[in-house]
Amino acid sequence: MAGEVHTNNPAIKDIVRLESVSKVYQQGQLEVRAVDNVSLEIDTGDFCALCGPSGSGKTTVLNMIGGLDVPSSGQVWLENHNLARLSRSELASIRRDRIGFVFQAYNLIPVMTAYENAEFVLRLQGVPESECHEQVMMILDEVGLKGMEHRRPDEMSGGQQQRVAIARAIVTRPAIVLADEPTANVDSATADALLDLMQKLNQEDGVSFLFSTHDQRVMDRARRLIRLRDGRIESDEARR
Amino acid sequence: MKLISLAWRNVWRRKRRTLITASSIGFGVLLSATFTGMALYMYGNMIDASASTGFGHITISAVGYNKTPTLDKRISTTDELREKLIREQGVADAMVRIMGQAMFASAVKSVGGMFLAIDPSQETEKYNLLIRLIKQGNVFTDKDGTGVVVGNKLAEKLNLKLGKKLVYTTTDVNGEIVSEIARVSGVFSTGVAEIDGGLVLLPIDRVRNVLGYEKDEATLLAVMLDNQRKADDIRHRLSEKLDLKRQEALTWRDTQADLAGMITIDGASNYISQLLVALLISAGVLNTLLMSVLERTREFGVMMALGMSARQLFKLVLFESVWLALIGLVVGVMITSPWYWYLDVYGLDFSAMLSGEDYSVAGVLVDPIVRVKLYIETVVIILSVVFTLAILSGVYPAWRAGRIPPIESLRNI
Repeated sequence: MAGEVHTNNPAIKDIVRLESVSKVYQQGQLEVRAVDNVSLEIDTGDFCALCGPSGSGKTTVLNMIGGLDVPSSGQVWLENHNLARLSRSELASIRRDRIGFVFQAYNLIPVMTAYENAEFVLRLQGVPESECHEQVMMILDEVGLKGMEHRRPDEMSGGQQQRVAIARAIVTRPAIVLADEPTANVDSATADALLDLMQKLNQEDGVSFLFSTHDQRVMDRARRLIRLRDGRIESDEARR
Repeated sequence: MKLISLAWRNVWRRKRRTLITASSIGFGVLLSATFTGMALYMYGNMIDASASTGFGHITISAVGYNKTPTLDKRISTTDELREKLIREQGVADAMVRIMGQAMFASAVKSVGGMFLAIDPSQETEKYNLLIRLIKQGNVFTDKDGTGVVVGNKLAEKLNLKLGKKLVYTTTDVNGEIVSEIARVSGVFSTGVAEIDGGLVLLPIDRVRNVLGYEKDEATLLAVMLDNQRKADDIRHRLSEKLDLKRQEALTWRDTQADLAGMITIDGASNYISQLLVALLISAGVLNTLLMSVLERTREFGVMMALGMSARQLFKLVLFESVWLALIGLVVGVMITSPWYWYLDVYGLDFSAMLSGEDYSVAGVLVDPIVRVKLYIETVVIILSVVFTLAILSGVYPAWRAGRIPPIESLRNI
């Protein structure tokens, strides 16, 4: 891996570190500063929410942590890797092995069953089919989808699809799950059930979560709440 | 799930579009097989027809006879040579012949033409088109007799009928002008004006006498093959049996240069039309895959966010083009097989499109009912080319899929 090793703190407890990160978009003649000089650290085992109004820069921060977007200035570190130093294929490997993504619109692959969607990243990792089976069945059981493994996305409700997406995100035991508005497209009962599930995975399995949200339910459950406004951190509070 | 299985499912996402694209590939196979099959049938037919009106698929003659065919250039011990060659593998038959120019005269008129002196005991309908196409009378049976078989056009010109006298005049081995009288025993009609109006079959021993040839001398030995496509190989083999200082073995390409040239040019134009068909197929596949890639930009963004590399994405889309190509080939074989069978058994009758009664191209008789002939290697080439083109058409969409930055795709989510 070509990324630099973070030497300042060898016993890293922070999975993610943003150092003076800014992101500027050009919209015609206009320069839009989506993220403005943000520095923050996310620790192992965090259950953290980035909140703020639309356009505050939540998703942009999440995308930069996930190596999907590149900061205009500053550095993003994931575990020991400076993401700016990684090639496209190295970033793909980091995303595959160390990050789980949960999207607002589930984004399951429509031609795959629940089982195959959950298995997808493991197969990208090259895990043999026989080894995948046990892991996938266990995860599907954990997210409450036992018996639904053969259903395709169009045969499942929104909540069920988001459970599959969560199973897909955590099946490889990533360092962190980045969840972009995971409860936005489901009803409140389903949202609560999904949050219960993610909280359980965080507490019992130690999976770190970073949400971008403006859902009060998510904010209420987050152990750390980072408020963004106009691309800057307005507040960063640890709770409970 | 393996990429190849995922590609298979992706191909069937839009069934109608896949079937339309597969049909266009299949139609390409049909067109290619039809054009190639018809051309190969026609070429084979013309080569066989040309061979059976004179020189054979391989001609054994005196060195230089092909360039300047004069009657003083002759080969000897032809019967012995014939016996030797006829035993060679791939040789179906061999006929001793004398070919030359002569003036033919009746009581009313005289015209110039060619004569082909044959030994009737060696000739068969199968390998002598003129005998096969005798419409009146019969071929002479005595190789030292006075019988003669003429074309119907020549008979018309000279006002000849069966049993009527014909005088032929030519130059002998010493350059002296010599003549002989013959009587018409048969009239053939090939449909080729050049042959029907200027070629005459004569008995070989009588012609030998007229020309001053020895008993077993002739201008050529026409060798007929089981398969004309092996002419070059067999020619090499036969050459080993010859006295190469005096004799040479030539294929129909050498003796029928006009025909060979026509086939080469026609083959080239056939390749050009097939190239256009291939471009149309490629454009169809390219369009389908490009649309399919653009439609799934968001999905590819998700896949890349989940850790799929550009290379894996490239492979996925390329596998889709492989499946599309294979489905297209299956469709192609399914629609081409019954069509090929029909053309092979019944053929297409183009006689109404040919002018008058002349069914000739480059002076060679063509069958107005066009059938098809494909060889295994031709089928393999057609399928391979179509398959390869269909896959190559997938390269750009596959490359493009992997080049879309995931963030661009995810912005749409």
